[in-house]
Amino acid sequence: MINTALKNIRRSPYQALAAVSMTGLTVFIVSLFALVSLASHLVLRSFETKPQVIAYLKDDHTVDSVNGLIKEVTDTGLVKNAIYVSKQEALEIYKRSVGNDPLLLGTVTDLGVITADVLPASLEVTAKSPDDFPTIVSILERSSIISSTPKGKKEIDFPQDILTELTAWTRAIRTAGLLLIAILCFNSIITIMIVVSMKIASRRYEIGTMKLMGAKGWFIIRPYLVESVLYGAVGGVFGWLASYIAILYSTPFLAPRLIGIIALPVGFTLMLALLAALVLLFSLLGLFSGLLAAVRFIKR
Amino acid sequence: MIVFDQVSKVYPTGNTVLENVSFHINPGEFVILTGPSGAGKTTVGRLLIRDLLPTSGSIKVGEWDLAKMKPGHVSELRRHVGVVFQDYKIIPDKTVFENIALALEIIGYPGKQIEDRVKHLLELVGIPDKKDLFPVQLSGGELQRAAIARAIVSEPKLLFADEPTGNLDDQTAADIYQLLLAIHNLGTTVIMCTHNRSFLDPGHRHINLEKGKITLDTSSSSQPARAAPLREGHKSKEEKHKKTKE
Repeated sequence: MINTALKNIRRSPYQALAAVSMTGLTVFIVSLFALVSLASHLVLRSFETKPQVIAYLKDDHTVDSVNGLIKEVTDTGLVKNAIYVSKQEALEIYKRSVGNDPLLLGTVTDLGVITADVLPASLEVTAKSPDDFPTIVSILERSSIISSTPKGKKEIDFPQDILTELTAWTRAIRTAGLLLIAILCFNSIITIMIVVSMKIASRRYEIGTMKLMGAKGWFIIRPYLVESVLYGAVGGVFGWLASYIAILYSTPFLAPRLIGIIALPVGFTLMLALLAALVLLFSLLGLFSGLLAAVRFIKR
Repeated sequence: MIVFDQVSKVYPTGNTVLENVSFHINPGEFVILTGPSGAGKTTVGRLLIRDLLPTSGSIKVGEWDLAKMKPGHVSELRRHVGVVFQDYKIIPDKTVFENIALALEIIGYPGKQIEDRVKHLLELVGIPDKKDLFPVQLSGGELQRAAIARAIVSEPKLLFADEPTGNLDDQTAADIYQLLLAIHNLGTTVIMCTHNRSFLDPGHRHINLEKGKITLDTSSSSQPARAAPLREGHKSKEEKHKKTKE
């Protein structure tokens, strides 16, 4: 059965190439889309789980006033947690983020070494949902211990705009990607179906003879189904390989931009899981296409 | 084994090929079916494997009533009736070995047994050295032998040979006839269609068809044919084959 399928493929290599390249292209796009979807999900989650609202405190704040503000914010029920970051802790965080860069640490400037005094203490509030930002921010803005800019604006940072923008982009990418994948899958099905139909049509005499010898429909269509599955599976492997190469090639560009959010290069285990899923999915797609072609002819 | 009861066949074009044809063929008979071209000989064969349905009348092959048979059972019937087609129907891009093996693959023989059985059949029909050749590389007589080998490889109880000696020289035709006799001697019921009256033997039954009607039937028995089960016979042969292998 497999030998017959392989023989059929060998006898018309260009038809096989058309089927495999169409499937491979689809798999390539599906593979990239799956990884982009995963990445965008991780980026969104990263923004959602990091302290989202940072309110900088005046230097003359007291522990009691900070605790009072934390209680007020927490009591809204909209907050996952709210933590106080002292000046000393802010310095530690700064040092960790800049590493050993002497310029950023101030050791080579006229201003002298950066100390805890130059950094403000802050209150970091993690909201349950980005939708709750306005309520939390309004509470913080009313507090007298939050520092203000010279123009009188409270020094409160929150990534509402980024998050909204990112969510919109993610949704747009998902919609466009799914639409593209649907079109490409349809094209793959049609391509495999046409290739298999042509092969079956060219073997009508053989099929007719087999029927007269007592062959059942299933026996006759099996090699064509195996052939269709092979188109799907081989296309799956090639498409995956192309996407893996593309990801590895773009890793030097992406890695510094996604540091702390996504670990690059993408783990081989994840890629293997993706390969297994793609081969399975596109083998089924091949089987479906082959069935469409074979059943049509067997009924004649 | 075979019962044709008042069978008529009218093609959609209005051409009547068989008209109220009745005959019984008992298991183990060797029947020579003669008649001019268009007399209905090939139609009898096509009716036997339900490639066609009769316009009226009934046909029984073994325990099957072909008119009432479910379409899903047709393949089962065809597995038990070996047919040597007039145009051979040898698949051009398969070797002789693959063509013969196909009949066994269809009935689900295991690979090793297929090889042994096909080799045996190639010996029987006298073309063991042609197994790897393609049909286009064979002579008419060799093609006919390959077609016969394919028809009997699955040990059917019934063999229908449609003009197996047509287009062959006298010597090759005689060889093919002898081969069919040998197959008959192994216990197979044989129906051989031919124009060649030199094969008529008083020891064999002769049915002559003309314009869709039987004009001669030298049947020695007027008793209806027994409904010998094709399938059981086939099974017992398979078992015999297995035992031989063991």
